[in-house]
Amino acid sequence: MTIDSIQTGGARGVPLVELQDVSIAFGGIRAVDHASVDLYAGEVVGLLGHNGAGKSTLIKVLSGAYKRDSGNIRIDGKEADISNPRDAKAYGIETIYQTLALADNVDAAANLYLGRELRTRWGTLDDIAMEAECRRVMGRLNPNFRRFKEPVKSLSGGQRQSVAIARAIHFNARILIMDEPTAALGPQETAQVGELIMQLKAQGIGIFLISHDIHDVFDLADRLAVMKNGRVVGTAHVKDVTKDEVLGMIILGKCPPGAIPGPGAIKEA
Amino acid sequence: MGWGMAEQSNAGGPASSNEGLFRRLLRAAEIDTRMLGMLAALLLIWVGFDVMSAILRPGGGGLFGGSFLTSRNLWILLVQTSVIAVMTTGMVLVIVLRQIDLSVGSMLSVVAVATGVLQVFELGPTLGVGHPAIWIIAVIFAIALGAAIGMFNGVLIAYGQIPSFIVTLGGLIAFSGAAFLIASGVTVAPMDKTFKLIGGNGPLASIGPMWSWVLAAVACVGIGIATLSGRRRRLKFSFAPKPVWADVLTVVVGCAAVLGTTAVVNSYLWPARVAERFAVENNIPIPAGVENRAGLAICTAGDKVVTCLDGLSFQTGYPIPVLIMLAVGLVMTFVARRTRFGRYIFATGGNPEAAELAGVNTKRLTVMVFTLMGALVGISAIIASARLDAATTALGTLNELYVIAAAVIGGTSLAGGIGTIYGAIVGALLMQSLQSGMALLNVDSAYTNIVVGIVLVLAVFVDQAYRRRVK
Amino acid sequence: MKFKILTLLAGALLMSATSTAVMAAGKTIAVSWKTFQEERWKTDEAAIKAVVEAAGDTFISTDAQGSAQKQAADIESLISQKPDVILVVAFDSDAILPSIQKISDAGIKSIAYDVQFEDPNALYITFDNVGVGRIMAQEMLKVKPEGRYAFIKGDKGDPNATFLFQGQMEVLKGAMDSGKVTNVCETFTDGWKPDNAQKNMEQCLTSTNNGVDAVLSENDGMASGVVAALDAQGLAGTVPVTGQDGDLAAINRVALGTQLVSIWKNSIDLGTVAAKAALALADGADPTTIEGVAKFSGGKNGVEMNAILLAPTPITKDNIQVAIDAGHITKEQACAGVAAGTVPACN
Repeated sequence: MTIDSIQTGGARGVPLVELQDVSIAFGGIRAVDHASVDLYAGEVVGLLGHNGAGKSTLIKVLSGAYKRDSGNIRIDGKEADISNPRDAKAYGIETIYQTLALADNVDAAANLYLGRELRTRWGTLDDIAMEAECRRVMGRLNPNFRRFKEPVKSLSGGQRQSVAIARAIHFNARILIMDEPTAALGPQETAQVGELIMQLKAQGIGIFLISHDIHDVFDLADRLAVMKNGRVVGTAHVKDVTKDEVLGMIILGKCPPGAIPGPGAIKEA
Repeated sequence: MGWGMAEQSNAGGPASSNEGLFRRLLRAAEIDTRMLGMLAALLLIWVGFDVMSAILRPGGGGLFGGSFLTSRNLWILLVQTSVIAVMTTGMVLVIVLRQIDLSVGSMLSVVAVATGVLQVFELGPTLGVGHPAIWIIAVIFAIALGAAIGMFNGVLIAYGQIPSFIVTLGGLIAFSGAAFLIASGVTVAPMDKTFKLIGGNGPLASIGPMWSWVLAAVACVGIGIATLSGRRRRLKFSFAPKPVWADVLTVVVGCAAVLGTTAVVNSYLWPARVAERFAVENNIPIPAGVENRAGLAICTAGDKVVTCLDGLSFQTGYPIPVLIMLAVGLVMTFVARRTRFGRYIFATGGNPEAAELAGVNTKRLTVMVFTLMGALVGISAIIASARLDAATTALGTLNELYVIAAAVIGGTSLAGGIGTIYGAIVGALLMQSLQSGMALLNVDSAYTNIVVGIVLVLAVFVDQAYRRRVK
Repeated sequence: MKFKILTLLAGALLMSATSTAVMAAGKTIAVSWKTFQEERWKTDEAAIKAVVEAAGDTFISTDAQGSAQKQAADIESLISQKPDVILVVAFDSDAILPSIQKISDAGIKSIAYDVQFEDPNALYITFDNVGVGRIMAQEMLKVKPEGRYAFIKGDKGDPNATFLFQGQMEVLKGAMDSGKVTNVCETFTDGWKPDNAQKNMEQCLTSTNNGVDAVLSENDGMASGVVAALDAQGLAGTVPVTGQDGDLAAINRVALGTQLVSIWKNSIDLGTVAAKAALALADGADPTTIEGVAKFSGGKNGVEMNAILLAPTPITKDNIQVAIDAGHITKEQACAGVAAGTVPACN
């Protein structure tokens, strides 16, 4: 058993994000139960688990969509006060939700800038500047994209995804949460998302990648954390565990020797 | 990079290849085709009524010989539309936000009666009847009271988390009771004489031909400047502006509409009796002439003042309630399209969760939208009571249905997220045209109600069919 | 002529109220109101109470608050207090019938006050509603014996709107047959709403190019809309307009000359006559011997009842004083804005 800092290859100072002992319950159900996860700059941490394991809920606590019942969130080692999405954005936390969370009836530029609109000196919306900027950003992400005047409802799944990604990375995010970013995509597009993740990682952005696809996580993540029934089974460096061992974590909650057990790990007899 | 290649084929869309020339022109000019359809329907209704009234009672002097397409009827039609139109601009935003306000009619009653009581029973006796401050205090009071009631609704909906349908249904019932109690059910009349002008009755309640033309000119220049600056900004960010012909067409058609409307309202002359009274009071000499009942000018035949074709006449120009309606329409369009507040309303209506996740404070937004709705009801209450020259509990009854119907006919989707201010105003005009036209033909109001109801359903049906085709 | 006589009769009953009081002492008169939400019933109650208490008798009342169930319970509790007569303002004229039966069974007399319920044993006291339309037309014919008439009728769903129109037509028939009076516009007004009446009048004036000489509006609220529409064309004051209800604003319009007449049903008259009749019944009088009683069978089911139909008072420029004297309106309210010397009551 080694400690985390040794496992990830040397001292990297204070983690970018630390979720400590976070719990949240809906009615009588403990969706997240004393979960702790951390994330360093320039690192991709994969969050794995079945549907309903609590990974999306945990991440929504960080993005401000849910308010935690107990536990702490630290950003750069300092206590962070996050109780709504606006707070999270102020800390540089951006999220690409599984549902994409786009306003379907307005166009790409309006979605890109939703909540952060560019305004003219008279305080009115500067739609033309926003559209120009949107064309620039989308030109990088998706050069074939032309439908800037249409509501995003009329776009294809891939185009909508690129709008959601553009929104998350356009405002100098430091921490990026990607909830099943490839679920609606074909193999080619999935590969493109992978490329993008590597680029962002190289820029020093910390990324939480939520997925139920083990292969994705092994390809893209540096470390992984597995959740089951709202509790963390264990965290591990991808090099220290095999896919089969991770499957064991997901399905049985059994923590292999290469991983640091969490509160959700079953005790070996 | 570059996903989305798979969608390349439907990016342009197979529909575009067999699109007609006309449709392509419309698309290039970014013209709302749905709006064109509505205007065409409106025009059809107008012509239909004029022709029918010509058959029923010839010699009305209208475009087709009836009495509908006369400057007088169109002038009155605009005034009649104003009360509903002002409220419907707010209702569009409420519905776009996926809410509903059923209480606007009762709210109008409360505000109208309270404002009536204030000016007739309170301000009149204290300041002296006809004091110039009365109308100002009354107007501010009405708008503030409306906004306060709207805010109350909004707070219950947003923070009390009670569905707006329930909150405002309660308001519909409760406010009409409150309106009754405020004045113990009596009709409050007459209104302050300056306040009354807001209703559009009487010669001083219109701005006259000169100011009407000045206003039209300003509007034309405004359309030109707006088009030009839009063009310049697009060029500045170096993406393709609309084709030149499209911009020119926008300016020409827009300007023609403004000038045409102005010509119509200016060609409505003061009623003979009103002109006569004004001439006598102001020592304006009335020329001699020959009596002609169809004429609108006034002459003297012997010592009697009669109507004639040539003689003394005054043009009315834009009546104040219509100017208020136009101003409200303009401001509300600006709010909806050019402000962050408006953008948030539409985004929230499209996907409330997404807006919340993007950092929009949807609760505060809801309160603000209902407050705005209330303030607009306040304005409508002023116009309605000023026009009737009396405030009664019955004044706003059933208005909520007409306001919602106008918004829906105007293309507002009850599913939220979709709607335009100008569409709703045209919707209100269309509905009032049906009502006024059928009253002009002396049709029993039972049939009018049937027709208005059918048009409402038909409008939504055609709208949805249209949207499906566009998709 | 019939109306004149009834009006005089009402006055006579009013004046003789004190003389009968002596013989009726010790009785109890009860009233079951349908709702006290409406201002007018308070006036009625004051009038009834005044007569009953002046006679040294006891007055009790209940308020059903607009509920048929509560009214049934109210009547049971009134019966248990053993009054001599119960006046009932029925909330629902059918649902009330079992309660009326209970009143009869207890040996108590009942009076249908203002609202009819069809029980042959009860005495029905109300204003002559069909007569209102006739009076409107009569008053109008006095000032416009010939001309183009517009008819602004009430809500199409309210039978009163049609009754009023029928009354008007009875009176106008002769003049219309001879062509002296023509019908140029005739519209129902949704919800009796003043603003709807205003729009209908505007369209009427547009379609006839102001060719209207008289307007028969079926109530005062709608008259306010009609007058506003006429005013916009400079015709207010020259085209006479009728109305009913004695609205304060309407009486003021009558004084100003923009409205010809408001037919007023004086609740004080109704209350006084009813209280008088109640005291007579309490003394054991046969209903048919009470002054003004006639047979009436104009109800929904045509049941024949004893009834007193009071004639309402047409308020015109000449008799505004009547409404002022009755305390219905103050002189200031009636005469606001009236030029000196134009109206007798305002001098």
